[in-house]
Amino acid sequence: MSPGRNTASPKEGFMVNRLPYLRKGFWFFLLPGIIGLLLVIILPFLVTVAASFTKWNGVNPPTWVGLANYERAMGDLKFWAAFRNNLVMILAVTVVPTLLGLLVSVFLFDYITRKFKPGLANFFRAALYIPQVLPVAIAGVVWRWILNPNWGSLNVTLESLGLGSLAHNWLGDPATALPAVMIIMVWFQIGYPLVIFMAALQRVDPELLEAAEIDGASWLQKFFHITIHQIRPEIFVVVLTTTIYALKIFGQIYVLTRGGPGSATIVPSYYTYQALFEQANVGYGSTIATIMTIIIILLTFAFIRIQVRHEFSRQEV
Amino acid sequence: MSAKVLKLLSFVLTGSLLLGLFACQPAPTATQAPQAPTEQAPAPTEAPTEAATEVPAENRVLKVWHYESDTGAMGKAWLAAKEEFEATHPGVTVEMDNSKGFEEVRQTASMVLNSEEAPDVMEYNKGNATAGLLSQQGLLADMTDEVAKRGWDKIIVGGLQTTSRYENGVMGSGQWYGVTNYGEFVMVYYNKALFEQHGVEIPTTLEEMEAAMDTFVAAGLVPIATGASEYPAQQIFYELVLSKADQDLIDSYQLYKTPVDFHNEAFTFGAEKMAEWVEKGYIEKNSTSMGAEDMGLGFESGEYPMMISGSWWYGRLMTEITGFDWGIFLFPGNEFNPGSGGNLWVVAENSENKDLAYDWIDITLSPKIQTIMGNEGGLPVNANADEITDPKVQELVEAFKEFSPGAAFYPDWPAPGLYDALVSNVQELINGTMTPSEMLDAIDTFYNENRPQ
Repeated sequence: MSPGRNTASPKEGFMVNRLPYLRKGFWFFLLPGIIGLLLVIILPFLVTVAASFTKWNGVNPPTWVGLANYERAMGDLKFWAAFRNNLVMILAVTVVPTLLGLLVSVFLFDYITRKFKPGLANFFRAALYIPQVLPVAIAGVVWRWILNPNWGSLNVTLESLGLGSLAHNWLGDPATALPAVMIIMVWFQIGYPLVIFMAALQRVDPELLEAAEIDGASWLQKFFHITIHQIRPEIFVVVLTTTIYALKIFGQIYVLTRGGPGSATIVPSYYTYQALFEQANVGYGSTIATIMTIIIILLTFAFIRIQVRHEFSRQEV
Repeated sequence: MSAKVLKLLSFVLTGSLLLGLFACQPAPTATQAPQAPTEQAPAPTEAPTEAATEVPAENRVLKVWHYESDTGAMGKAWLAAKEEFEATHPGVTVEMDNSKGFEEVRQTASMVLNSEEAPDVMEYNKGNATAGLLSQQGLLADMTDEVAKRGWDKIIVGGLQTTSRYENGVMGSGQWYGVTNYGEFVMVYYNKALFEQHGVEIPTTLEEMEAAMDTFVAAGLVPIATGASEYPAQQIFYELVLSKADQDLIDSYQLYKTPVDFHNEAFTFGAEKMAEWVEKGYIEKNSTSMGAEDMGLGFESGEYPMMISGSWWYGRLMTEITGFDWGIFLFPGNEFNPGSGGNLWVVAENSENKDLAYDWIDITLSPKIQTIMGNEGGLPVNANADEITDPKVQELVEAFKEFSPGAAFYPDWPAPGLYDALVSNVQELINGTMTPSEMLDAIDTFYNENRPQ
């Protein structure tokens, strides 16, 4: 990577010097994108921010209420429950799938591919990726069937194995609803890091691993000191995109629990939906949406900064 | 490529993008053209005559949207109405579309009605949070004159009128913005085989109902099939509240006539009784993760002696239950029960075919079409009673007559979003994570924050 960058720079400089119109003309190409961004992202976002300072049912003229919606959010137990659940969701959507995905991809790449045919690894990769391809609504309905307390296959199986005492109202008991949703989310998500990491592993220079092996490095040492370092950019991408996904999560909650029982599994995006579409409370819905957007933007900046810093420190080395 | 070509190219790209964006823009929505409620009632008679003179009859198309299945009672009746309409209106085609579901129409109606895609007449959910809101937004035609002219107010009488009339978005009085075609109400469905097997008679009081349920619990059965992740459980809660309610309380809760005390006798009784019923095993805790469909399938499986739900299940149970005999009774001892006129026909204010739309409503209200609806298991408001042949349907129509004077509407009607608040709080009550008093406090707060002020 760094050698490529070094050789590209003088060449780029050469092109710009020889063809001066590239220096002043390039921004025209950005115009369509910038206009699109303004109309589709920036403008609606600003309207949402403006709406968050109003009491508005989406139809009649809005009334300016200042920070009242934000004050309400700060004291709203349901909002905090949604926020807390969202943090827990990051565990289920980002942390666990990334770690599991890393382990499984290394296992498939290092062990299955070598000991068996590569086709077998491809089979597992495809199989584990299927939940990502399935429509959320369908997968959600199937999970609801599986977890139905009275005739769901999980409870029926437990009972037939003589483990009836373990049968439970999985999605209806506040103690188990969120963990159940989390497990389902891990199932949903596992395929995504797996596919990215398997592609990344093919990029790792085998000479590095061979050299380490000759030097007597164990498998674990190679994994921690070479593999992880080599695929760090992919790990960053996976962690960033899945964290944003976790903060925006909606479909699975909508299909599985609708935030219930009570507010045991409510998340901010579903709460926003309820405020906007069920209660016609555009002001408060916009407030929650604005708060979440700001959090996501800050998080994204922080991630990208850390990533850039790492890249630079690698190049300096 | 020269700089000029590059600039030209970028302008062409930008221009085409802008064009594309403007082309894709939807027609102005209600948010862009808010109308004061006072401006929303042009004389309904003007538009039809104008439309009739502008558009030649042979080119006219009446767009009708509804969300009933073609195999259900309403769907079948309206298919017959389409034939009748086209036979009596030569040259006019009825474009009937039932591809948009209840939920989709509920969420997008205000945008649809303000666009060029708007149907002339559509079925829409009744209540303050829905038809009331649209009437306030000036999206629905005021049909008051038409109702008087065609005598629809003689067909839709008493409590059934409540959901058709709105004043400043609040139902109960004022102008007619919708016309219902059928009725619906909540009742107790019971499994005759299980009742006979356990020697249980149809209860006529709440005490008898509880005694019957004790018998079933002792036999290892869960007496009531329900689902608390959707509407069914909150309707049981409301039935229990209604067992101690009077007309004043219903008017206060549904029509905001006076402030509601959520810790009064009726609400306290409803919440405490509901918790007690869970504790005694009349309602299972598992219901918190089950929806309406689970409830229906549970009752159909023959495992539950009773199911407390609406007449919208009736036609389906008639065809799907084959293994046992079943019947219905009104919630024992209740003078009031959840129920109302059915969903409404509403006419788009922007429609150019208002005259045809009113003819359409008239035909759907005609005894011929209403009788078809009745024979298919619906609850017609204007059928020839002696032409309804199925004894099972006659049983339903009889129960409807008994119910009609005590229509108490539905618990989620008073405020937008109250449905979800009731779902989650009733779930908390069933799970025991909220006491009856805490649950009532939560509903109180939500109701007062969100009801029309």
